[in-house]
Amino acid sequence: MPLFEGLGSGGEKTAVVIDLGAAYTKCGFAGETGPRFIIPSEIQKPGQQQSIKVVQYNINTEELYSNLKEFIHMLYFRHLLVNPRDRRVVIIESILCPSHFRETLTKVFFKQFEVPSVLFAPSHLMAIMSLGINSGLVMDCGYTETLVLPVYECIPILPAWEALPLGGKAIHKELDGLLVEQCTVDSDSSTGQSLPTYIHIDPLMLFVLSRCPVRTCFISDLQRGLKIQEAKFNLGGTAERPTPPPDVDYPLDGEKILHIKGPIRDSVMEMLFEQDNEEKSVASLVLDALVKCPIDTRKALSENLVIIGGTAMLPGFLHRLLAEIRLLVEKPKYRDALATKSFRLHSPPAKPNCTAWLGGAIFGALQDILGSRSVSRDYYNQTGRIPDWCCLSSPPPESVYDAGKTPPPLMKRAFSTEK
Amino acid sequence: MASLLQPDRVLYLVHGEKKIRSPLSTLYFCRYCSELRSLECVSHEVDSHYCPSCLENMPSAEAKLKKNRCANCFDCPCCMHTLSTRATNIPAPLPDDPSKTTMKKAYYLACGFCRWTSRDVGMADKSVASGGWQEPDNPHTQRINKLIEYYQQLAQREKLERDRKKLARRRPYMPLAFSQHTIHVVEKYGLGTRLQRQRPGAPITSLAGLSLKEGEDQKEINIEPAQALDEVEPLPEDCYTRPINLPEVTSLRQRLLQPDFQPAGASQLHPKHKHLLIKRSLRCRKCEHNLSKPEFNPTSIKFKIQLVAECQVLLTLTNPVENITHVTLVGCEEGDPEDINSTAKVMVPTKELVLAGKDAAADYDELAEPQDFQDDPDVVAFRKSNKIGFFIKVVPQREEDGDVTVSFKIRHDFRNLAAPIRPSEEGDAPTEAIWLTHHVELSLGPIIA
Repeated sequence: MPLFEGLGSGGEKTAVVIDLGAAYTKCGFAGETGPRFIIPSEIQKPGQQQSIKVVQYNINTEELYSNLKEFIHMLYFRHLLVNPRDRRVVIIESILCPSHFRETLTKVFFKQFEVPSVLFAPSHLMAIMSLGINSGLVMDCGYTETLVLPVYECIPILPAWEALPLGGKAIHKELDGLLVEQCTVDSDSSTGQSLPTYIHIDPLMLFVLSRCPVRTCFISDLQRGLKIQEAKFNLGGTAERPTPPPDVDYPLDGEKILHIKGPIRDSVMEMLFEQDNEEKSVASLVLDALVKCPIDTRKALSENLVIIGGTAMLPGFLHRLLAEIRLLVEKPKYRDALATKSFRLHSPPAKPNCTAWLGGAIFGALQDILGSRSVSRDYYNQTGRIPDWCCLSSPPPESVYDAGKTPPPLMKRAFSTEK
Repeated sequence: MASLLQPDRVLYLVHGEKKIRSPLSTLYFCRYCSELRSLECVSHEVDSHYCPSCLENMPSAEAKLKKNRCANCFDCPCCMHTLSTRATNIPAPLPDDPSKTTMKKAYYLACGFCRWTSRDVGMADKSVASGGWQEPDNPHTQRINKLIEYYQQLAQREKLERDRKKLARRRPYMPLAFSQHTIHVVEKYGLGTRLQRQRPGAPITSLAGLSLKEGEDQKEINIEPAQALDEVEPLPEDCYTRPINLPEVTSLRQRLLQPDFQPAGASQLHPKHKHLLIKRSLRCRKCEHNLSKPEFNPTSIKFKIQLVAECQVLLTLTNPVENITHVTLVGCEEGDPEDINSTAKVMVPTKELVLAGKDAAADYDELAEPQDFQDDPDVVAFRKSNKIGFFIKVVPQREEDGDVTVSFKIRHDFRNLAAPIRPSEEGDAPTEAIWLTHHVELSLGPIIA
């Protein structure tokens, strides 16, 4: 019997690991050190200039189904170059993903591509797995939102989740507003034009504009950042803004140059740390989540902070975040509630935007248990639904079909073009 | 009427999981199921891999090993164009006699489009034209491999525990104190709350429930948990005052092409091997036969198997097959569930139309005898070799600005020439004709007032 099992698990092909983010999708194979491709989560319809975002929660099922189908088709046949029918799929998802989206995605995988099994892995838990630790406070700074979820001994502490819609999307919006207000565009025919005239002509301009912050903007350190915020809100009345960095001439395409004013470069990111009326900022999320956790877990969590997500890769982000957390913990709101004052940051063996993917790849390489924990195609065909953490009415798999026993069905036909 | 040949005008209805209407040029015809198939109701498969620049076919095993990248071709990291290898002559000392110098060839990579060269990132010139260029390794590879080994050990333990649990259920002898119910309860809650029941979809838990301290194995792989740092490096001071040299900073797209490194500076952008493309084969989902299978050779655009609908199904009443075909047109009934798009009533000729077979030599044979089909001049407008033109009456139902669309059903006979050879006991029976019915929609254009 062990011999058979060895053959079974040795012959199984590596699973496909996909992290479907709102802005970018990371896809690749289990057991590898990084994703094969990081592509924008968009599809291009023929005849339309504007690309369509795949991850949208508010559109109707039909449209979502066809968008997802086209996107995953492109993933398999343009980037991964494998047959969908042969390999299990690990999908890294956010726990706040709406059930409707999840179910449509599952339907696309099972009905259209006939994959053998699907596993939905929570991104925060996977980040912990990529480090080899059991507990940690994971903060995912993504495109639509920043989500904090503590994980203790490999179990997510679900009631302690915290989220704010401050992410890449909010930064783009802010930057667009500032650019439109203050910056000018030079083209070969005219100088000093304001931006809206060009956006009106060419919608692709917005796409290029969304790439600006990556190259030109940064996050100042704590002292400087606080001074900038003071000057903006003019709290003291006499606050002076620190010297802004120099302007940048940013070429938009072959003809046009956008002049980005210096002050924009360091102030646009301050919105992540400006505390709004409820005194919430990206840094306060960490402390709020800690307060909600059981007391005995807090020390372990605060000394194991893990920051993942693309927005966390902005220059100066991590340093500022730590400094803000240390500043906020002295405030009366937290000083009495939290006894722990030490905060430590992990550096995972991958870039922050790929850390959750890496955790999923490590998990996907464990062929012994990947099969038993996935939802197989037979289970889906019999029940028609995928189990969700928020829904308790799914039947356990033992009563429906013993998914753990048999190896996944390999290609049924006698002849096969792929080994 | 040439506009009727436009691709979107004539739509055929495909009965799949979803009803899809699309022009015949995009459809396939499965001759084992005798049904039309569209791209959505067939399964796509990867057939072969090839490099788009050197057009070299790569066997699947090699493609898997090389991570679907060509061994010889590179992409420019700046503009994603294909890099070409250039050679220069450099003076180099002879190995025997250091005082004399001779010209040796040195090769470097250069992009013809954006003028990037491998010297820009500090890659040394190589002495061989191909095979000398290596991609840099990910520095975290070792740590990640160790993590995988460690978790695999934990996974094996979990599997053993699970199997042991299953075996334990079947043991025939049981202490008398335990009843069936108690055993069930003990199994559910008993063996430790740490080994929770694994339900798919529940948050993945507790690989940590198995600690390596239950020392059964001799070889234990211990892993150092990652160390957290107190301090993070701040931004360099000159970041606030230094003017940016924009060409030096990589764009997001350039960074994301190298997921392992994602360098911020253009001097760290290394070229990557070119990604391969695939040829796809299509397979009918119901009968698992191939509908389209391309040639292996990347330079060939032909197909080994190609069951495109245009060759098998009637196309605007041009008969593609070589037999005489009988066609009946039937208008759609009232309340036909498939008839959702038509905005006009159509009166189709009720008689059966006969189409002559396709004869490739007929074009060249000027003395061909005219085939005598008795054609009703009210119905048939013209007839030429295997084509026929006929009249239909259209009565628009609505006074709309939209296009007039009519739908009707075409019923024709089809002989499956590829049917398996029957045993000769049945005698030389001709292949039977199957009658196929297709639902067709014609878009005739807007009403001119």
